This record gives sequence, structure tokens and C-alpha cells, in this order.
Amino acid sequence: MATAAKRLDVEVGELVEIAGRRYEVVPDREGGVTIEPSITPATELHTQRGTKAASAEDFERLSADVPYDNEG
Amino acid sequence: MPDTSAGGPPPVSIEFGSLEWEEEVERYGPRSPARAQAQRARRTIEAGTTKLDWKRCKADGPDRTKLPGCRKLYVPLSKQGAAEAPYGFVFQLIEKPDDGLAWNLIAFGERHPANERTRNVYERAHKRLHGRYP
Repeated sequence: MATAAKRLDVEVGELVEIAGRRYEVVPDREGGVTIEPSITPATELHTQRGTKAASAEDFERLSADVPYDNEG
Repeated sequence: MPDTSAGGPPPVSIEFGSLEWEEEVERYGPRSPARAQAQRARRTIEAGTTKLDWKRCKADGPDRTKLPGCRKLYVPLSKQGAAEAPYGFVFQLIEKPDDGLAWNLIAFGERHPANERTRNVYERAHKRLHGRYP
């Protein structure tokens, strides 16, 4: 049975909803685009919740003895 | 569930926001190993009975990720190498409205995805902090 594909005319940064779930159009690593579950920006979450990123001083105070690894 | 450090600064709570949990963990299928490992690690963290092996994230990391003010935990929690602990949580230190501090989950995912088209957990964390991939 042939299945007709639904065409999405979307650009990077736009959101699409499939079965009640939001997906974001993002660039892939090959010059094209793909969709993936959206990631709500921290700034938006901070605004909603009344939170903010802690100061660098607080971070250093709490993390002075925490090691780095060779990753991100 | 506080992040305890004997003799160090006061404990800081560790928070798993429902939206972040949905976007980071529940994007995996209900029976996927990644989701099961994340759930198990969260239960352990929330129980507060295990010393957590934190690592700092880099303000200027590989793959152009910039994660200042962030720390991470490998998952499963008790493992280290990428083969044994293929996943990671990334947390951002935040200040709450009551001026308290908390480690807030911002990303969960593979540390070193086998599929090169898959974004690793650090790229996901970068996107949440900066609104776009590095």
C-alpha cells in the first residue's frame, strides 16, 4: 500500500506538533534539517520560575574541589 | 535531596524539573535502556544516600560547547568509562526566588553517541543554555 507523505514547509527554529508532542526543526550535521523533541531554553524556564543562573562566585565556591574530565 | 559535602559549603539541592525531565529523559521510549538508567540514577540521587561523583563542565569545551556554571554526573552513577557509563546528566547551578541555590537538570543523553548524527549530552546542554547548538 502506497503511503503519501505529508509535506512540511518549515524552517530551522520552527516547532511542529505530532501526536501532541512538540518537535523542533534543527540543522543536521550534513547541511540539511531534521526534527527532534524540542529543548525549552533555560532563559524561558528562569522567567517562568523566577530563577536565574547563579553567580560565577557561587559556582566556584561550590566547585573548587570538583575535577574536570576530558569531555564537555 | 541535598548535594552533601562533608566539611564543605552548605548542601545544595538537586532538582529535576518536570519539563526538563520530559524533554530529556522521556524522549526515550518507556523501555529504552537510557530511560531506565536515568530513572534509576534519579532515584539514587533523591535517596541522598550515595556520594555523588561530580565533574565540572567546561566553559569552553570540545565541539564548541560552552557550559559555564554547570556540573555533571555520569550515568550509571557508580561507573566512569564511556562504555560502562554511556549517559550523563548535566546540571546548572541556579539561584531560586528565595535566594537559595540548586543544581537544576538541564540535559540528559549520551556522552559519546555511536551515531554521529545524534547530539551528545553536552550539545543538548549548550542548546538549552544558549538557545542553539554550538
